[in-house]
Amino acid sequence: MRCLDWPAVVAAKTSSSPCVVVHSQRVVSRSVGAMHYGIQVGMRRRHAQGLCPDLEIATYQPDRDRRAFNTVVRAVSELVPLIELNEPGIIVFATRGPSRYFGGDEPMANKIVQALRGSIVADSQFGVGIADSRLAAHIAAHISAQNTAKNTAQNTVKNKTPFIVEPEKTKIWLAQQSVRVLSEFANINRETVSLLERLGLNTLQDVCKLGESVLAGRFGELGVELHRLARGDEQHPLAAVAPPPEHLCSQVFEQPIFDQQTLLNNVQAMAGEFSNYFAQHGAICVRLVIKFESETGSYSERLWYRPQGLTARAITESAKWQIESWQIKDALVRIQLIADEVRTDTARQLKLWGGVTQIDEMANQAIGRLTELLGSTAVQLVKWQGGRDLQDNHQLVSASHFQPRQNESNVSDIKPQWRGALPTPSPSVVYSELLLVRVVDKDKNLLRVSARHELSAEPAQIIISQQSYKIISWAGPWPIEEKWWDTARSRRLVRLQVVIEKLMPDGSQQVQALLVALEHGEWSIAAIYG
Amino acid sequence: MKLLVPKTLAVKHSFFEKQVLENFAVSDQIRQLLPDAGLVRGRIVRCRGDAATSLALSLCARASQQGSWLGVVGVSHLGISSAVEHGVALERMVFVHPPESSRDWSTTVAAVIDGFDLLIVAVPEALSVSDARRVQTRLQSRRSVMIIVDTATLSQPNFSNNVHPFHADVVLDTTTKSWSGINNGAGYLQQRQVAIKVSGRRVARAQEHLVTCSY
Repeated sequence: MRCLDWPAVVAAKTSSSPCVVVHSQRVVSRSVGAMHYGIQVGMRRRHAQGLCPDLEIATYQPDRDRRAFNTVVRAVSELVPLIELNEPGIIVFATRGPSRYFGGDEPMANKIVQALRGSIVADSQFGVGIADSRLAAHIAAHISAQNTAKNTAQNTVKNKTPFIVEPEKTKIWLAQQSVRVLSEFANINRETVSLLERLGLNTLQDVCKLGESVLAGRFGELGVELHRLARGDEQHPLAAVAPPPEHLCSQVFEQPIFDQQTLLNNVQAMAGEFSNYFAQHGAICVRLVIKFESETGSYSERLWYRPQGLTARAITESAKWQIESWQIKDALVRIQLIADEVRTDTARQLKLWGGVTQIDEMANQAIGRLTELLGSTAVQLVKWQGGRDLQDNHQLVSASHFQPRQNESNVSDIKPQWRGALPTPSPSVVYSELLLVRVVDKDKNLLRVSARHELSAEPAQIIISQQSYKIISWAGPWPIEEKWWDTARSRRLVRLQVVIEKLMPDGSQQVQALLVALEHGEWSIAAIYG
Repeated sequence: MKLLVPKTLAVKHSFFEKQVLENFAVSDQIRQLLPDAGLVRGRIVRCRGDAATSLALSLCARASQQGSWLGVVGVSHLGISSAVEHGVALERMVFVHPPESSRDWSTTVAAVIDGFDLLIVAVPEALSVSDARRVQTRLQSRRSVMIIVDTATLSQPNFSNNVHPFHADVVLDTTTKSWSGINNGAGYLQQRQVAIKVSGRRVARAQEHLVTCSY
């Protein structure tokens, strides 16, 4: 089952209003309303605003999406015993059991549609697709969701039709799909897909025909995966390795646990043990069942899948998600972690040179501990986002959404400089709060800047908390005029580099370079070249 | 440096045998400043003066590139762009905002020391000497390097000379002498000359260096 553009659905105030969710100036998700204006995912924010002036814009918050998705998860898990989640908006489950129970694939899909009618997704586009492989099912669900959208647009009967690919025909059906589906549904990056297209491979059938060895020769491991996806096979065949003899971790509490935090601490300890155990066997767990049992006998059981393997932290995070969505009042007596699918660890071997080393593992553990100690807002990592001002340039993100792999690839390469940004070197002390000063010319008049960013006179002195310093040299101004179309967020400021002379208490002289900024008629120290 | 010691004496006093010191990599310019030719594990380096933050970043840069993690504790207004230009690997840089009280601060720093090789810290004024000693012991056993930045940037020096709770192994006092590349309305800040005075427990004789650097 797939909900299209889940983040936008959550963010929108009403179901029909145009709304987009924006992440680093690009649209990541848009609502149905916005779609009618022709707004596409990946569009620049200003472009989207140009298409639809009264667009609602929301920031990207994975937590919010996840919380909102809990209602959907609950509704579906009442019908289907074991569901698998990897991102908000998508639920995957095996149909073999449930569909036999409900009397076939179609009745089951209809049942799910009915169950969701009352919840938030009823207004949004969602679709149910059934097929033999994960990729095919994703595409089928997407088609189903799009059909629904068309029906609603034409004001026909609000009928959500599931899209079912018949069991034996999945391969034939999948072969006709364009290679673009790989980037949309299977995490293959866009460049690879575009390369395939340029090579004349337009459908999955073409890819399939080429043969695995040819693709492996050209793309390496990725080629093998491409071929497998095109064939319609599953990524982790169950019989890849013989699983370790024992892969269940269970803990029974004699004293039932009420407190969620205590429970999560226990889960954390178990998760550590669990992943260590697999690490020792040179294996990783890619699919896991987490089961909580309460003292009244009710239980919550859910499947978690992550193709790159579930680390201890991922397990804890999943458990947290699960327990939050369960909303149980009773005390819990038992936790079980059951490895459902295990494969040999090829990608996350600790490397001697480069890659993830033991130092990184230790640092990760320390980050986890610090987050526990101080809360997630007090431990932050840096993310580049680009900007003219020193503070916009990088963003501090909470370390609990930490993914070392992703980080490794996108931070270390040198980022292009923005036009209008200050020349390097950058100041090493940047103030976020305002430190008001007065910058004056030689007649002690406050310095002003004209509409054309010209200074009213040469700066001569700077007065910092009633003490005045002589300016021995200066440069600038560097203006910023940002977001002038938006009255609430528009900024207009100029920045000036000044070098001041200071007399130290022991009589020696010292120079110091400052960056001062003029905004709303007030000078302040923005940064110090410290 | 080679010591000329009679052989019999050398055997008697193992003190003269060369100690093996584990160093973090630093750039050539910085290496000349530091005693024992590098950033020795388990030590505390304190940077003072107006170029303290830049110096702290350049001390960490090379080691950070080579895979060490850097924890920035309590230095809330560190310029990230500047860190990038110094060559600090951002993906291994973690900002930690510790609580103000002495005990909680030391617990936090101890946790950071456990996981990270390099620390840039701002020491709160409330820190007691006993807590500082505890942190220092932990640092020595975990073989990390702590770089203290004294943010006496404008008019408010926060520790008067001798009451600092930490006994730094190396103290680097910086004074900017001049900036070049900027000229009354033209150009921009490009290079500066910094006088760095090196002193501390591990430095036999205090020395002063004049360094030209482009940060």
